[in-house]
Amino acid sequence: MAKTKRLLSLLGLAAASGLVLSGCATQTTTDSATTDSADGGTSSTEEQKVLQFWAFGDMGLGDLIAEYEAANPDIKINMKVSDFDPHHQGLLTSLDSAAPDIAAIEVGYSSLFKAVAAKFVDMREFGAEALEDDYLDWRWAQGVDLEGRVFGIPTDVGPMTICYRSDLFAAAGLPTDRDEVSALWPTWEDFIATGEKYVAATGDSFLSSTGYVWNAVKNQSDEKFYSADGSTLVYDTNPQIKKAWDLSVAATPISANIGDWTADWNAGMNNGAYAVLTCPAWMMGYIQSQAPDLGGSWDVATMPEGGGNWGGSQLTIPARAQYPAEAAAFITWVLSAENQQKLFEKSGQFPSTVAAYESESLLSFESEYFSNAPVGEIYATGVTQLVPLYEGPKERVIDQEFGAALGRIANGDQTPGEAYESAIENIKRDVG
Amino acid sequence: MATNSKKLLRSERRSGLLYTSPFFIIFAVFGLFPIVYTFWVGFHKWDPFSEPTWVGLDNFVLLMGDDRLWLAIRNTFSIWFLSSVPQILIALWLAWILNHSRIKGNTFWRSVVLIPNITSVVAVAVVFGQLFGRDYGMINWLLTVLGFTPIDWVNGTFSSHVLIAIMVIWRWTGYNALIYLAAMQSVPEELYEAAELDGASKFRQFIEITIPQIRPTIIFTVIVSTIGGLQIFAEPLILDGQGYAGGVSRQFSTVTLFMFEQGFSRFEYGYASAIAIVLTLIVISFSIVNFLIVRKIRA
Repeated sequence: MAKTKRLLSLLGLAAASGLVLSGCATQTTTDSATTDSADGGTSSTEEQKVLQFWAFGDMGLGDLIAEYEAANPDIKINMKVSDFDPHHQGLLTSLDSAAPDIAAIEVGYSSLFKAVAAKFVDMREFGAEALEDDYLDWRWAQGVDLEGRVFGIPTDVGPMTICYRSDLFAAAGLPTDRDEVSALWPTWEDFIATGEKYVAATGDSFLSSTGYVWNAVKNQSDEKFYSADGSTLVYDTNPQIKKAWDLSVAATPISANIGDWTADWNAGMNNGAYAVLTCPAWMMGYIQSQAPDLGGSWDVATMPEGGGNWGGSQLTIPARAQYPAEAAAFITWVLSAENQQKLFEKSGQFPSTVAAYESESLLSFESEYFSNAPVGEIYATGVTQLVPLYEGPKERVIDQEFGAALGRIANGDQTPGEAYESAIENIKRDVG
Repeated sequence: MATNSKKLLRSERRSGLLYTSPFFIIFAVFGLFPIVYTFWVGFHKWDPFSEPTWVGLDNFVLLMGDDRLWLAIRNTFSIWFLSSVPQILIALWLAWILNHSRIKGNTFWRSVVLIPNITSVVAVAVVFGQLFGRDYGMINWLLTVLGFTPIDWVNGTFSSHVLIAIMVIWRWTGYNALIYLAAMQSVPEELYEAAELDGASKFRQFIEITIPQIRPTIIFTVIVSTIGGLQIFAEPLILDGQGYAGGVSRQFSTVTLFMFEQGFSRFEYGYASAIAIVLTLIVISFSIVNFLIVRKIRA
């Protein structure tokens, strides 16, 4: 009896030392819900090449991938979708080991990966130089490092508008016509004042979270957290950041404090928990997929104080890819002007290829879901207003700290002053 | 003769080593090496953009002054306490019922209590996220119906700890109950009969006979739940779906979450390893403390 006791407790202690450290290695994947596409690589012919494609959303590419596979029977594309941050973090840590053939990198992370551009295939090997003029120059530059290596080809751009619920606007006694709605808010102060009117009339929230004001305003300049040439950190001195912060704080009373991409947020898109979203082109596809029954209730107006970009990615080929040439062929095909335009009409990602902005079919494209708004023309106009914005290597870390600080204000955990102080303090410690 | 048996003994010993070697080799590669390597990394500054450089104890000095670590330790212990104590009590009660009741389908019920344990943590977190949602969750709906004010589970400190603890309890109680059940079945029936003759109540029998008799098993489960509980990771990670921070005020940031944030979101491999080492020390010392306390249960 005594022996068993001792054995059992020893077992526990021995397990203690083993479990703690070896436990960390096995759990890296629990956070990213992995969804491999149906076929696990069982090929009908010996020759079939399976390209591994890592992304942080399905990017609406399903149809185009099917089309490409049909035209190239020897190629199979296996898409693995993870959450936004885990995708980029996992990619960075696997560049030296199990890297995929194709990986998406969002612009917020582009500078981080620029530092390790040598761990990607230089696409000039596959004739990328000839493609440069097809794309918006600042979007192209986000995939080129200091030595001129082209490590990624641009996907879409995210010029922003305001998506709003015209039915809820009507109920609140606000105008519903998109030109009249745009005229309500030439400035962000007017936008917040409109929100206050809405809240007073309905008792519901106008915005899902103050993060939407933050995200839009901070992107309406040529400098964000880094100076335009990328040499210095300006997150605590840039007047545009201060402005974005102050406006976000002012928007607290009209916001519902619902986190993005959560179940409550998706539900709120349907049931009127909030009435507007700042809307980069790709957001249209997301709204349609989450609230399929609300066609005709959503509409698109212009954003206060001009445009601004949110999102867009580069498609890259890690140096350790198994099939770099095949991956390059797919990337150049899927990101061609013609296919980017197709993607816009299907799921809203706006092309980064300049030829599209002249295209008659794009300019006349109207979205039935968004009350027949001429979204082709709206976003094409938006794109021309965009100014290149430098995104630095620690962009995401800085943004997360400010975002959490806004959350603390919304929760009532801290006053705006305390939240700002603590955000700056945290960024200083982690970034410099 | 004597030399022969010695030879036999030696060859037996050798073949014994050979048979057990797969364990030692696998342990060396997947257990020992990572542990040693973690210590090595802990004394370096290292990120994906540069080669590791030796910094001595810098990571540890920095860590001791980092209030995020102390907050994470507080949260981890709070969540551990809120989950372990009810878990063990409920498991004992469940095991007692399974052992003593004459309900039909014994095997069936024993399997049922294990189902939560084999469910994916991610699925559990998704379901609980729906149940405990602030605006459209069922629990808050019930609270409203009963006239209470709804609770913002994820954004409160104590409420988020309770929510995580509920997920852990739901997942691990059945597992512990089965271990207790196995132990209870080896308690000699005569002891209960004798107590019965002396007029002891069921509750008295449970306290005076069952608990002391299964003491080694209780020690085992307490230590295992200490080791597991102090490394809690998946539940708090998935709670708000916003990354490794553990809430906007880090209100449910745990030590493992903090380690992950530093290692795989901030890419400070050295700092993250230092956190791992500190966590190891905490777990070992706390396991010893728990062992000493639980050993005091009257035999």
